[in-house]
Amino acid sequence: MKKKIEETMRVSIFEVFEKMFYIFLEPLDDESNEYDMEAAISFEGFLSGEVRLLLSMDIANTMIQNMLGLEKDEITRQIIEDCSKEAINMICGNFLGKLDSTKVFKLSIPSFIEGGSRPGPLNSMNQNQSSASAGMNFTGIETGKNAYKMDFDSDEGRIGVIIAAND
Amino acid sequence: MSFNVLIVDDSNTMRAVIKKVIAISGFKMAQCIEAGNGKKALEVLTDNRVDVIVSDINMPEMDGFELLKNLKGEDLFKNIPVILISTESSEKRMQDAFDLGAKGFIKKPFTPEAVKKILNEVIGESNEEEDRRDDEGFDF
Repeated sequence: MKKKIEETMRVSIFEVFEKMFYIFLEPLDDESNEYDMEAAISFEGFLSGEVRLLLSMDIANTMIQNMLGLEKDEITRQIIEDCSKEAINMICGNFLGKLDSTKVFKLSIPSFIEGGSRPGPLNSMNQNQSSASAGMNFTGIETGKNAYKMDFDSDEGRIGVIIAAND
Repeated sequence: MSFNVLIVDDSNTMRAVIKKVIAISGFKMAQCIEAGNGKKALEVLTDNRVDVIVSDINMPEMDGFELLKNLKGEDLFKNIPVILISTESSEKRMQDAFDLGAKGFIKKPFTPEAVKKILNEVIGESNEEEDRRDDEGFDF
């Protein structure tokens, strides 16, 4: 299941970034913690959990410029928040649809924070997950067997995605 | 021929995105009208001629499914085709939408090409239905 979750999530992330933001991502071997903001959404169904999207300010600005055609000086904090929430909503919805289109999932309203550390339900995950973010303090996430972190690079900057799922 | 499109979404940003995508898709859009939820969409419809509605599902006050139900009950609006747009695209969710009268379903993420294709299909169907009704209306 872990492999399927990781692979499905990777495909979903690529699809959302290419179709909506015209950004082409490459998987990053090194782990990155250099992010400025985070959007999160939780889901319930046959699989329950949470997905978090970590963004640098540079890539957030590029996403908005590409998606809305705005100039950098026209971008407001509200637009950054809306865009980040929409991105995590699309990634999670796309991921769940690909995982099993016959099942219905309930998605929460996305949340958004800039910088800082988010104490959250993800820190209740168990241990023994190699790709989880050991030592990452941005989100307060500890390693867990069902928590995965993926980092991606692009010409416009880096993104990170964390998924924690309990099946 | 160009068409008036009503975009219903509680996110200003998403409304702007949908509007931009429709514009760059090449779909013949005359006027783009916006509403923040289903309730506001019904208000907008009383003052504007709308050819097609593109609506989000999850919205406060009145969601996309409720909007479909309300449109169905109004003689003036029941023939306006509605396309729902959502990240939640399970087979059941889509079937629920079609059962309530939606004419199309756009899954997010979407491309301008996909949006144009669905709009043209729905508008085409709608025009054919209207032609049929016009034909049936004359008794020679």
